[in-house]
Amino acid sequence: MKTRRQFHKLAAATAASLVAPAILGNRVFAQDKPIRIGASVSLTGPLASTKNGLIGYELWRDDVNAAGGLLGRKVELVTYDDQSSAANVPAIYSKLVDVDACDVLFSPYGANLSAPVMPFIKQRDLFMVGMFGLAGNDVAKHDKFFHSGPWGPNSGRDWARGFFDLAKAQGVKKIAIINADLEFSKNAAKGGAEVAKEYGMEIVFNQSYPPNTSDFSAMIRNINAGDPDAIFIASYPADSTAIIRGVKEIGISDKVKLFGGAMIGPQYGALLSSLGPELNGLVNSHTFVPEPTMQTPAIKGFFDRYTPIAVKQGVDPLGYYIPPFYYVAGQIAAAAITGSKSVDPKKMAAFLHANAVDTIAGKIAFNEIGDWKERRVLMVQLRGIKGNDLEQFRSPGRQVILDPPSLKTGDLAAPYNKARAS
Amino acid sequence: MRKNSFLFLAAVGIVLVLGFLLPWMVRNPFYFFVGYVVLQYVTIATGWNILGGYAGYINFGAAGFFGSGVYLSAFLFTTLGLPLPLCILAAAIFGAILGVLTGYLTLRIQGVYFAIATLGLVVVLETIVHNISALGGASGMAVYGPRPPAWSPGPSQYNFTVMLIIAVASVALARFVEISWIGRGLRAVKASEDAAECSGVPTLRLKLLACALSGAVLAAAGAPYPFYTSYVEPVTAFSLIIGLNAIAMPLIGGTKSWSGPVLGALLLASVQQIATVTISSELNILFVGLVLIAFVAFAPGGLADLFGRKPSGGAKP
Repeated sequence: MKTRRQFHKLAAATAASLVAPAILGNRVFAQDKPIRIGASVSLTGPLASTKNGLIGYELWRDDVNAAGGLLGRKVELVTYDDQSSAANVPAIYSKLVDVDACDVLFSPYGANLSAPVMPFIKQRDLFMVGMFGLAGNDVAKHDKFFHSGPWGPNSGRDWARGFFDLAKAQGVKKIAIINADLEFSKNAAKGGAEVAKEYGMEIVFNQSYPPNTSDFSAMIRNINAGDPDAIFIASYPADSTAIIRGVKEIGISDKVKLFGGAMIGPQYGALLSSLGPELNGLVNSHTFVPEPTMQTPAIKGFFDRYTPIAVKQGVDPLGYYIPPFYYVAGQIAAAAITGSKSVDPKKMAAFLHANAVDTIAGKIAFNEIGDWKERRVLMVQLRGIKGNDLEQFRSPGRQVILDPPSLKTGDLAAPYNKARAS
Repeated sequence: MRKNSFLFLAAVGIVLVLGFLLPWMVRNPFYFFVGYVVLQYVTIATGWNILGGYAGYINFGAAGFFGSGVYLSAFLFTTLGLPLPLCILAAAIFGAILGVLTGYLTLRIQGVYFAIATLGLVVVLETIVHNISALGGASGMAVYGPRPPAWSPGPSQYNFTVMLIIAVASVALARFVEISWIGRGLRAVKASEDAAECSGVPTLRLKLLACALSGAVLAAAGAPYPFYTSYVEPVTAFSLIIGLNAIAMPLIGGTKSWSGPVLGALLLASVQQIATVTISSELNILFVGLVLIAFVAFAPGGLADLFGRKPSGGAKP
């Protein structure tokens, strides 16, 4: 009897000692396991110029880990190269979720690469921060998706509205619109035409051109023939250069007050230094410029660390357009995790819907489909550019903010020809 | 020959049964996403080889046929709500018509001129799609696919099984072409078109038939793609990568028989998929390039030639 009782005790103790570490160990393991953040980045292919965003992710990860991680867990970044092809995106995100077991996802760059992943995250009810996809969640309307980019609500139509607000204030009656036959430019031009109509402006010229067009002389002459007061251009880097060079060669009417709008290229260091003074007078969209109303110690600290890495990697040494918002994506995820004290997508999303987040790009509040409640796309005018030195763009006054009014650092210099010559 | 056909049919049966069972046995959806891409390339390589391998007409326009299949299927599904099998069938018929039309216009020219003409097809089709707003133009169109049927556990598994059926059907078609009178005629065309014509081989009709079959398979390969990515846009649908892979895979595997493209596609597409999630940097493209160069340099006849039976006569084409 005694021996049997002893045996039972012994058996219970053995079982407990065997099971306890497993239970406790699991607990410890779950807490020690890093929080995994998964992303697809375009390191190669036509969108490879956006790969400097990765530096933003990495700086954020290093900062968070240096501060002890999130919820006491380290943060680990898992990234794959999507080769700028939408065809690679579904498999990459399945790998991130089903194999790598990532807790948080960052979308690929832009609307075309993000579109394939939207039904996937909606179906699986996952948490994702969107990277620069214009109107990225307008179709799926997933409630656990949040934009890191400042496009604002109704971005498909409204993101370049600032340009038209400026035009309206200048009393523009006739406007010309040209765009590259590619996704971003086409949407920008379509939205622009709608806003122009809403403001009662007459569209005297509206034409798209095939990608890789290099001679715009005929188009500029046709625009001049329409005699517009403003010209809205939605172009990609190579055509942006060709258009600006074409205007220099052929000239443009003195009546034109605003020129630019949605040109991709003049945000990047390569184009700023190659065109230099030819960019004077251009009014164009941007996401960040080092003007006094935007320059904070936090974002300055970011660029102080970004620049040496970018120079070493041979990517854009300025990096104003994309990288800070990749860091912001990390901050949005961090706020959701620490705010909800979990990595449960539902709780994280609920926290972000209820609370504004402090980031290096300012305070951000989200609407029900994860757009920034307030559009914060900048319309900047390039001014006082002398020579081709890139460093001049680090000082204020070169890219003056005209819109939105809350960040304004100067008034529009018009007409375009006068601003161009200054 | 009869014994071989029996073995082939048995293998087809086993592969198809596996295609239906695997989704229930392997729980992780990732493998089905990857498997889909590999099978898509098996189909593309097989389709390309009917014209490029058997008849020796190098077609750079595979992406044109593939993209037409993608867009036709996406359009029919989103506007008319046609079920997926009908979309695939429609894409195949459209591909065949496109193949005949292209063939009729271009088959008079040979060699490098034919290759350039087919490359032009991709540019023309892509430009057309860019300018049709009903197809979404440059912004592309979102395609929210149908719910998977009860016999499949999820959308990725369903797409995988559908693609497997298309791939198996394509390989069976390619094998039929190879061992029938069509294949013998096409081989004669490849060896010497003039001699074949003089011997009474109806070369133009055979080439047009090969164009139609090849086009049908390539377009069918694209039909389920909108449901795989849930989104189509012209740049990816008409991507040059598809055209290059369509050529590279049969070259690596061997162009003489149906097994070459299958082997080549299985190898190259798997390497590409693995490289995407392992190396995942600029290096993966370099790596795939090196594999290609290695095969072209050291095994010009392809894998099938390297491991297959040596021809008894040792005759070279």
